[in-house]
Amino acid sequence: MDIPYTVHARPDTGLYNAKIGIWLFLASEVMLFGGLFSAYIFLRVGADYPWPVHDLDVKLGFINTVVLIASSVTVLMALAMLKLRKFGWYKINMALTVLCAGVFMFNKTLEYKAKFAHYAVRLTDGTMLTGHMPKDKDGNTIHYQVKFDGVTELTLSVPLKHTAVTADPVGYVLPFIEGTAPKFKTESGQEITLDEASFETLSAEAVKKAKAENKGTASIKLVATAPIKLAAKPSEIFAYTDTTITFRDGTTATGKLTDDKMTFEVDGVDARGVAQSEKSLAFDHRYLGEAWQKAFVENRDHHIAKFETDYPTRDKSRSATLQKESLFFKLNSAEPPAAGAPHGDAHGAEAHAPAEGHGEAHAHHPTVVLEKKDFTFFSNFTPKLNTYYAIYFTLTGLHGLHVVAGAGVLLYFLVFDGKRMRQDPEHLANRVEVGGLFWHFVDLVWIFLFPLLYLL
Amino acid sequence: MADNVEAIQKSIKWYFIIGGLLIILSGATVGLSYVELPTHSLNILVGMILATIKASMVALIFMHLSHERSLIYKMLAFTAALAIVLFTLFILAHEDPLVFPGFYAPVEQQ
Repeated sequence: MDIPYTVHARPDTGLYNAKIGIWLFLASEVMLFGGLFSAYIFLRVGADYPWPVHDLDVKLGFINTVVLIASSVTVLMALAMLKLRKFGWYKINMALTVLCAGVFMFNKTLEYKAKFAHYAVRLTDGTMLTGHMPKDKDGNTIHYQVKFDGVTELTLSVPLKHTAVTADPVGYVLPFIEGTAPKFKTESGQEITLDEASFETLSAEAVKKAKAENKGTASIKLVATAPIKLAAKPSEIFAYTDTTITFRDGTTATGKLTDDKMTFEVDGVDARGVAQSEKSLAFDHRYLGEAWQKAFVENRDHHIAKFETDYPTRDKSRSATLQKESLFFKLNSAEPPAAGAPHGDAHGAEAHAPAEGHGEAHAHHPTVVLEKKDFTFFSNFTPKLNTYYAIYFTLTGLHGLHVVAGAGVLLYFLVFDGKRMRQDPEHLANRVEVGGLFWHFVDLVWIFLFPLLYLL
Repeated sequence: MADNVEAIQKSIKWYFIIGGLLIILSGATVGLSYVELPTHSLNILVGMILATIKASMVALIFMHLSHERSLIYKMLAFTAALAIVLFTLFILAHEDPLVFPGFYAPVEQQ
């Protein structure tokens, strides 16, 4: 059976059916993105931190804008060429459209990758440091880890009743032990290697014993035959003190904390959250020190003075741009600039440069070793950092999925609809028109996303 | 989309003109976002006006809404109305927050 009205219009609506279908679908898409744009407005007016403006890579965003506009024109050209029965040109234009989608997604990957590798650390006084985790000589990122040495005793606890947390050393303890698999002595003096099977036997024994003694929790004590070294990201463990470490399964280990300092390559000091910006903890003598502080103050005062000459009647405290230019200081060299070095122009241009470095662009920044007591939070530039990055990833991620889906449909028409093109080009034209309508919608969403997330 | 050769060729010309205009307007949006207007809200307003102009161009010319059947317009009228309701709901929620001074404790104690 033929599906009716795929080629010719239905007399009562004057439209072929797929066109009504796609417009109904686009109407639902308007509501989907409308909800998310509302969320954006909500998060923005409710943000308790300076909303990032021009923090993303504007150049890359603009290139993507041009790429999407170009692809909108090529998909229209493809349709026109199909109507004119110039099949060669139709194919070229369809291929160009899909290629544009590929370029767009490639750029998006670059952007996301830079975000995942870029970190922010909040110091106790409200200063935000931005920068990167150091790399070893093979180029692998050295992640921040809490390190313990001389660990000899593990205490595992197995609750008798069903609870959310129960000992699972294979999943939550063993991954953080450095070196070869350690051997343990059980309370009965048996020597074991910790694995699924031995843990099973141990916990069965312990549970039996606890039941006999009428206890609620069975605990297993293991003593290592040789001292163990532990290293874990703070997010991978539950808590630690100078002498104990508690894993997420409730297992505790005793030993000695050897290192919980964070080595960080600083590329920016954001002092907008500090009452007296020049006294930011970042300029403590243990960290960036006096020379950087001087450079910071010089840069700050330069921008304030410039603002005063440019806009004598305006309120300095109300200019978000001035706040950012004067108090979000970018560090572009390993050493502080020499006093009096001309940096006015450099900083003018820098303020317009993306805050994120791509790939190797961040090779030269001062390195600081932050003490645990001096920072309260750290994250890479992912949804966890703040609501701006949450909505940024949600909106651009969903838009990216639309780009992939739209390009997939157009690619399908190009590759698999060759027979239809020769036998029933008018039908294919309708399909391409519908696919194109979706494609224009994707472009239309980007028209709002680009200024809202990158520029304003 | 019209079906005769001349009309198609004429619309191709328009696609390129509109495409070029869109790129120029995008450039203008980027440029204007660096201009320090008296308040940042004005920057946002200007940016959104430009974005709306661009979006209208895409909808009217690229999506052929400048000459479409009445059924599509009826459907879109519903969408527009519902979208306005959606944004209004958000504004109402924002204007009527759950927490305000005096909600948990008398104002003078704060």
